[in-house]
Amino acid sequence: MKKLLVALCCIAASASAIAAEYLLTVTRPNTLHVIDPAKREVVRSITIPGDGVPGTITVPKDGKVAYVLTNRMESVVGIDLDSGNQVFRADFSSPGKRIKGFFAAAVSEDGRELYVHQAPVVLGRSEYQVEDTYIAVFDTADGVGAKPRRTFPAPRRISLLAPTGNKDHLLALGWDMYLFNTRSGTIEKTFPIRHWDRPGLGEPDVLAMWGTFEQARALSTPYFVANTAAAPDSADAFKAGIAVFDLDAETLKTVEFENAQTAMFSSVINPAARNEAFLVMNQLSKVDTETGKLIKRVDLEQTFYAVNISGDGKEVYIGGALDKIAIHDAETLEKTGEIMMPGGADQSIGWLRVVKR
Amino acid sequence: MKRLRALNHKAQLLEHAVQEGNGEEVQLMSSVVGCTTTFDPGWEVDAFGGLASLCQPMEADLYGCTDPCWWPAQLADGLNSARDWTDGKNSALRDWRELQTLFPGD
Repeated sequence: MKKLLVALCCIAASASAIAAEYLLTVTRPNTLHVIDPAKREVVRSITIPGDGVPGTITVPKDGKVAYVLTNRMESVVGIDLDSGNQVFRADFSSPGKRIKGFFAAAVSEDGRELYVHQAPVVLGRSEYQVEDTYIAVFDTADGVGAKPRRTFPAPRRISLLAPTGNKDHLLALGWDMYLFNTRSGTIEKTFPIRHWDRPGLGEPDVLAMWGTFEQARALSTPYFVANTAAAPDSADAFKAGIAVFDLDAETLKTVEFENAQTAMFSSVINPAARNEAFLVMNQLSKVDTETGKLIKRVDLEQTFYAVNISGDGKEVYIGGALDKIAIHDAETLEKTGEIMMPGGADQSIGWLRVVKR
Repeated sequence: MKRLRALNHKAQLLEHAVQEGNGEEVQLMSSVVGCTTTFDPGWEVDAFGGLASLCQPMEADLYGCTDPCWWPAQLADGLNSARDWTDGKNSALRDWRELQTLFPGD
């Protein structure tokens, strides 16, 4: 009996040490879903108070509170994933001034500060006055009704924010990548993307609306760029590539891997094989970012906007757009499962994040 | 700009901006990304002159475009002027027939 108790205790201890992974996504009208990918089921659906439509999801390392950008990109709501209660809310706009945060919101890894890139517009009688953009810093302990504790100027067109391994740093992706110091409010380093100076290549276009970097701690995005050395009507007139920012090393790598022949919306890096990237839209593509080669590509049954991956690198999750999350084998890219959203509600621009609990 | 002529006030403002050396405030994309070119009216042709890179089915992209006001000329502006356009219609694939046409002044 004593041996059995010891064995049970050991099993319990090891089980608590191994964190389970859950997927988070959002659907219309304003709902946050917690999904068990192993069971292929939605385990909890939480109604977010107020108007939708939800999109960006950001979660600190402890995975306890999910911060969702919603209310037509004018509010961030923090939802306690255990109780389902609203524990934080920041409404950006006020009478006469409309403030949007276009996808770019991120909570610090310790969960204490929330960063939102904001674009304010003064609504006049006959004209709108566009004001300068900035990053607003909220203290998550301020709870419902939070106001920015401080702000610092930031370039326009920033669509993604991500905390790096340096607790004072915040990466912002816009026309270029900017490494902010959140204490001083200054840009410490700019990693050129649109303004890169690479002979034979034009200015790349990036559609970075889905932040997926928690598993490999690498923020990545597909890009498309004109190959100015090639004839405009040739097959290699445009190249497709991927930009990968290592959030711990704070380094940027860009690599072109094929002639542009299909659109790709978002990407994720494999935490178990960091040279592997998965990119998604109408196809699921697997790319080797070291060799710059397309490894494999399969057609999908529908368009998916967002992609994420399991911690062991074995399963790729694709979602967004319609009402389905599909699961594919990371090696073969074959579909191995799917999870339907309750009520057939669309995810639309919703993000797909992984939390460990 | 030699072959383009401003026809309305907004276009004239753009012309003036160029003359004043502020043309950089309005920039075209140098290459195409996404499901269609910026000036194409909707989803007719993809970036490669075909159909394969359009969203499949079209409804998969309907709310993904109206929610962030991606094609403001072709779709309802879900961010500002038509916030309730999809109320109660949570599935584009199922509910698209109930979406109403919007007219100026609506």
